[in-house]
Amino acid sequence: MSDNKQPLQDLNVIVAGQGGDGSLTVINVLADILRGAGLRVYTERDVLSRIKGGITAATLRAYDGERLCISSDIDLFVAFDQAAIAKYAFRLNEKSVVIYDSSNGEISDGHGLPDNVRLIGVPLSRYAVKHFRRDIYKNSISFAVIGRLIGLKDEDMKKSFEKRFGRRGAQALKYNLDALQVGCSLADERGLEIGKGRFEIESAHSEPHMLITGNEAAAFGFAVAGGRLYAGYPITPSTDIMDWLIKWLPKFGGVVKQAEDELSAINMAIGSALTGTRTMTATCGPGIALMQEGIGQLGMAEIGVVIVDAQRSGPSTGMPTKPEQSDINLLCYGGAGDFPRVVLAPGTPEECFFLTIDGCNLAEKYQLPVFMCLDQGLSQNTATIDPLDLSQVVIDRGDRLDADQLAKLDVYKRYNFTESGASNFAPPGTPGGMGLVTGNEHDEFGLVSTDPVNRNNMVAKRAKKMESMKPELPKASTHGVETAEIGFVGIGMCYGVILEAVDLLAEKGVHSQYHQVKTLWPMLDETPAFTQRCPNVFVVEYNATGQLAKLIVAHGGSESNIHNILRYDGIPMQAADIVNDVMKKMNIKEDEVA
Amino acid sequence: MTKTYTPSRPIWCAGCGDFGVLQALVGAMEELNIPPHKRMIVAGIGCSGSLQNNMSCYGYHTLHGRVLPTVTGSKLANPELTVVGVGGDGDGYAIGGGHLVHAFKRNPGITYIVMNNGTYGLTKGQASPTAPTGYQGSVEEDLDPVMLGLSIPGSTFIARAYSGQPAQLLRLTIEALQHTASGGGMAYLEVLSPCVTYNDTYREWRTSVYDVDVEDGYDPTNRAAAFTRMHELREDGRLPLGLIYTGKRPALEALSLNDNFPPPALQDITKPDLSGVCNDALQSFIK
Repeated sequence: MSDNKQPLQDLNVIVAGQGGDGSLTVINVLADILRGAGLRVYTERDVLSRIKGGITAATLRAYDGERLCISSDIDLFVAFDQAAIAKYAFRLNEKSVVIYDSSNGEISDGHGLPDNVRLIGVPLSRYAVKHFRRDIYKNSISFAVIGRLIGLKDEDMKKSFEKRFGRRGAQALKYNLDALQVGCSLADERGLEIGKGRFEIESAHSEPHMLITGNEAAAFGFAVAGGRLYAGYPITPSTDIMDWLIKWLPKFGGVVKQAEDELSAINMAIGSALTGTRTMTATCGPGIALMQEGIGQLGMAEIGVVIVDAQRSGPSTGMPTKPEQSDINLLCYGGAGDFPRVVLAPGTPEECFFLTIDGCNLAEKYQLPVFMCLDQGLSQNTATIDPLDLSQVVIDRGDRLDADQLAKLDVYKRYNFTESGASNFAPPGTPGGMGLVTGNEHDEFGLVSTDPVNRNNMVAKRAKKMESMKPELPKASTHGVETAEIGFVGIGMCYGVILEAVDLLAEKGVHSQYHQVKTLWPMLDETPAFTQRCPNVFVVEYNATGQLAKLIVAHGGSESNIHNILRYDGIPMQAADIVNDVMKKMNIKEDEVA
Repeated sequence: MTKTYTPSRPIWCAGCGDFGVLQALVGAMEELNIPPHKRMIVAGIGCSGSLQNNMSCYGYHTLHGRVLPTVTGSKLANPELTVVGVGGDGDGYAIGGGHLVHAFKRNPGITYIVMNNGTYGLTKGQASPTAPTGYQGSVEEDLDPVMLGLSIPGSTFIARAYSGQPAQLLRLTIEALQHTASGGGMAYLEVLSPCVTYNDTYREWRTSVYDVDVEDGYDPTNRAAAFTRMHELREDGRLPLGLIYTGKRPALEALSLNDNFPPPALQDITKPDLSGVCNDALQSFIK
């Protein structure tokens, strides 16, 4: 650490240990203080599919601006367990600083650490047990060392502890504050005295920001869109959606029902949607597989339900807590028979909010399944965003009939043939009405029919929706230089990494652009056209077979212009990885660029 | 008057027990003055799954085995509807058997009528869960859904009728609908409904049914005694009919919905309360 301090612009910290060591608490308190200093934060968790134990990590990026990913330059790594050092050493470089628990002895090098990395051993566990008789206070002790190192003020740390631990009672607060003090003394002994931190960090007045995950934003969007019934079955990484709605949906007048399995969940959702209630369920790949018959029913019986897929590593049970985007085929093509559907792909929490509202409108208006294609990273990582502008919310219920409108009709047919393919709809309970809904092929009244002429008309009716809704589907955004000959396509948690890669390439003098597709199905012409127009398109995705790239090619995209960047090892990508891939593929040497 | 679909004529074989169930359900709805637009009839897959097409209602034909989750969702969304699930024994006890357990446990305000004929009629006579040992070579013991229902502490109304005894069938259908309408929760009514083509049990059932409604001292509010009596009658080769058990517990929707709002299906959602609850939720993210 040098004495010429700089203002903090970009800080990346990993805190790791055994599950239950309190890594996440450290990250959360740090995020809280850094947000108070006017920075935006992004946090990521690396956990195992077990309640306690195993090596887990929480990662924070604090940035002066917007970044929805962790950098490849880790400034600080905190290890509560020496096993964690071996697991995460590959993410460090020679500029990284490592704070580790030296209760079991000092380490000098090895463990896969880069050469000359600065190691600060602090006997965290030993001091926690010595002073408080409990190991769990080691994370509060470590916080003082971390804070001193990066340049937090002691009083800011204290304030943040009061805010966080005050809720847990006077005793918990006192012990944690005492632990912070113990940590300050240990920091002093290691030369990390007040005012010697790496950065200049001042509390700053900043505009209010939201701290939100994609899952929370989708759940919030559903509630604001008028969603009033949620049925689901717990499955990582979608469950936060149900958890948020259990807390909030009743306040909106809605209800959450936890089902006995996904078969029940999708059918409860169907039962609710049949009554004209905006309805959602959320799951991930295995749950989508179980819901598949119900999804076909939504298409055939023309019932609108929003289904969130917080994709995780597959196939089968896969790696439940790890990210992947390998359900794209399942969402776009899954199910028996031909039926219309929509697949929307947000890239940020804000888009999770607004696209879920769009999804609710489309589901109700066009009476079909609408998928929200999320992934573990987008679903569960926390980002700082500007407050959502609720005045932008638009509700469109489609051609829904009340008793008066129904009475004006000569005839009401549940599956009336229309220009758009979507029929007018009188919910059960509407006086004067009756109607039949079925997953069998049916005539306009909903009576079962195998008449071939009717069959052709009904297949055409359902298919027509896919064309008539196109003007209403979310369009792609373009970021970067629109004439650049290097392009990116990617969805979900690739958003933040691709945007940073575009910036890093620009710093090297390499222009690139990012075509951020938001509607995967029906695929709009814009995306295949982009791959025709841009000669080098890197399709970045978390799966082994390039499902997104193949989807684009199937819709007329240029196969020869597309290069795949694929990841499926469970580790989130970093922008530097993408930059390296691009430089190599394009055969650009570092010294050839400005 | 707006024209809608014309209820179609049943497609069942002449003599099918399901005619009796349709007649009882329509009769009970009329007796209780439930107008067609308030009726939500949800039918499973199988011969019984076309029942809703033969009456005036808002009808829905579910996926195979999914009647109970569907009606649970419908009732939670709009408790003002009279929600009735109908289906067969294959639909309700085999492919949908898991949901039956959870429906009893949840006690949603719906009436569930199972037309039990001990066979898969529509697929030409395979053994169903209630087929006796030996039927079509079945080596399994038959399932007793009434005893299953009794064994689940959340169940509140369990009855069995026989389509060969239409007066009792009508009375029990009315009692089932009343149990639900009064906030009592799920009314489960099994109807022995013979399949004349693949498992014609009229003669056998006529002699083996046993009416607990007229048994001296039978107390349908005593779960343990009811269970014991069902077991005894089963051992004697009898098929118990009547109101077998009734208990008191609030319906799922009464315990789940926020009373300060109209039912979810009936709320005007076109203008979100931006300055109220929407803003409260937004503020909860500002930390």
